[in-house]
Amino acid sequence: MKPPRAVPWLFLSPFLVLFAAFYVAPVLYAGYLSLFIKKRVGFGPARDVFGGLTNYARAFQDSEFLTSLWNILKFGLVQIPLMMVLATALALMLDASRGRLQALFRTAFYLPYTIPSVIAGLLWGYLYSKNLSPLNQLTGRSFDFLGSDVVLWSIANIVTWTWTGYNMITLYAALQNIPGDLYEAARIDGADGWNLTRFIKLPLLRPSLLLVLIFSIIGTMQIFSEPFVIRPLGYVPDNITPNTYLYLVASRDGNFGYAATLAMVLAAFTLLLSAVFLRFTRRGGEL
Amino acid sequence: MKKALLTTLALLAGTALAADPAFPKAPAGKVTLEVWSWVPGLDKTVTAFEKAYPTIDVKVTNLGGGPQTYTKLLTTLKAGTGAPDVAQIEYGFLPAFVDTGGLADLSTLGAGNYKKYFVPWTWGQVSPDGKAVFAIPQDTGPFAMVYRDDLMKKYGLSAPKTWAEYEKAAATVYTKSGGKVKMGNFYATFAPWFMALAWADGAQFFKRDGDRWVQTLNNPGAKKVLNYWYGMIKKGHVGTLNAFTSDYWNAAGAGQVVSNMEAAWGPGGYAGSLKDKGAGQWRAANLPQWTAGTAVKSGNWGGSSNVVTAQSKNKDAAMLFSLWLNLSQNAISNNWINGGLFPASDAGLDLAVLKDKTKNPSKFFGGQDISTVYARASRGVNVNFQWAPWFPYANDNFNKQMDLMLKGRLTPDQALDAWQRETLAEAKKQGYDVR
Repeated sequence: MKPPRAVPWLFLSPFLVLFAAFYVAPVLYAGYLSLFIKKRVGFGPARDVFGGLTNYARAFQDSEFLTSLWNILKFGLVQIPLMMVLATALALMLDASRGRLQALFRTAFYLPYTIPSVIAGLLWGYLYSKNLSPLNQLTGRSFDFLGSDVVLWSIANIVTWTWTGYNMITLYAALQNIPGDLYEAARIDGADGWNLTRFIKLPLLRPSLLLVLIFSIIGTMQIFSEPFVIRPLGYVPDNITPNTYLYLVASRDGNFGYAATLAMVLAAFTLLLSAVFLRFTRRGGEL
Repeated sequence: MKKALLTTLALLAGTALAADPAFPKAPAGKVTLEVWSWVPGLDKTVTAFEKAYPTIDVKVTNLGGGPQTYTKLLTTLKAGTGAPDVAQIEYGFLPAFVDTGGLADLSTLGAGNYKKYFVPWTWGQVSPDGKAVFAIPQDTGPFAMVYRDDLMKKYGLSAPKTWAEYEKAAATVYTKSGGKVKMGNFYATFAPWFMALAWADGAQFFKRDGDRWVQTLNNPGAKKVLNYWYGMIKKGHVGTLNAFTSDYWNAAGAGQVVSNMEAAWGPGGYAGSLKDKGAGQWRAANLPQWTAGTAVKSGNWGGSSNVVTAQSKNKDAAMLFSLWLNLSQNAISNNWINGGLFPASDAGLDLAVLKDKTKNPSKFFGGQDISTVYARASRGVNVNFQWAPWFPYANDNFNKQMDLMLKGRLTPDQALDAWQRETLAEAKKQGYDVR
């Protein structure tokens, strides 16, 4: 007996309701909000009036916002490859090692991820403070890690520290799933350690690496808490990342319409980056 | 024993005799008020209020203050639901909230009758046009100079009375300490700190002009003050450590900072953050003046007010609570002891509890009655100072310009001009009629 058509929908409904309420609806509302601009007549509260695409026109001429996009692009181009190489190397090392130490290191590498980003920010904020930093005291220098020229890279360091272990676990799990007979066959063919890595492990890691990469791109676009926790310690530009900028436009300047516009543009930009990237990596052909 | 009993009786009598103003009557029926405030220990004060007004229940929520509270408040005002009855807002940020239309105009409830009980300049902060009243003043941050007495003596100095003397003292400290110790410190990421210094010299940054606004962030007073400080920064005579950071407290505790300009709520922070380091050595003195021998003029940094939201269903009770919280001696004492709030109430400035030398911050300040210094400062604050609704933007933009100035990419004049230009552009984008 075939179940009635409605049954799959019934099972799906909890997800669909939540998805609609917490994902689709906010996006639609943001899209709607982005069409409104603030208008004032004399004193008193601003009214939101329909402004069509005025906000979008503003966003693409807003040098502060464009700088924030450039910042995050720079950030991603440096931080993501660095983190991926590190995570891959750690995963391969863990995979190659045996015994109790392996479990210890696995936990140790993963540990930073379990620390909430706000706490991580505070922790690093201390390590970065000019006159107290143990890093400065050890080297006998007085480097300002929080100076506005370098603070983006100090944040990159926090992000790398937090996420490398997490990504390593994903890659390590993928490595563990590689069937043993592949190694066996390779060894019979005379492959040594490096060849195993180069011709078996890395190619089979490719799907996981792609996944990690896409998540990293999306995660990078969303960076917010690290710069925000560091803000009270020194001068961190408003537009260090797109998210800090749009948060300030909403919460500080009270311009919800423009903030919604920036969010829409940012979402489109992230989508574009991920899509271009997937396209680019697929073109290399299957392995 | 007997003496202690007598003292207690005398204190009790003193409290009983000192009259609170007559507060409005509590509304009939049971009322629950929701209050958002970051004042430490407010729950204890509230208990006393509930005892005096048994029909009113007060629920206090502490959201941590500053940006967190403001974001949440702004969101609830925007959403039209979820706002508390009473909330705490700093003076500089008040116009931005007035602008949302989410605050009740308390003049319609008779708040104007209480104007006479507050230090005059505080009322100007909550009632910019002298008619509508958007908040009840709570605490204030008039400016004075705090300094290390022992270090001053070590370098053969006495507390400077004028800025000219201060500059000379800064050079002396620099030379005698081999550059290791700084006379003072410039807080480059706190616009209101800098503005308070210019405020003391009569500078105005924002002004209402009929239905329009005038913004002069680069006014001559501001330029004078900034150039003065920049000169000392460049020579290395004053530092640029960021306020409230461990770097600053560490330097202050290690005796590397001889003096600083701090608001009335600052000394509590020194006592709390420095603990036993330099305890008893700190003193407070009048803010140095530009002209010698005149009455003390000061500016204000921070301080806050209590607003009643338009969403409140019990506006009368909410206003009663706000008045009681800031005018009753009981509450003012508690706010000082538990939260270090320097009162906006005129009578409150002379309250005995502020002068208690056995307790911090006075104890940390060598038993000096620092509240007299700060009360004098409060009464010397220019009454006409105004803020604009887009101040939150100006506040952050200031940091950007100071960063460029400290890197040597802008002169002080250029930095203030850029501050004016960029903030003006933003205010216009926000729809204000401003020039």
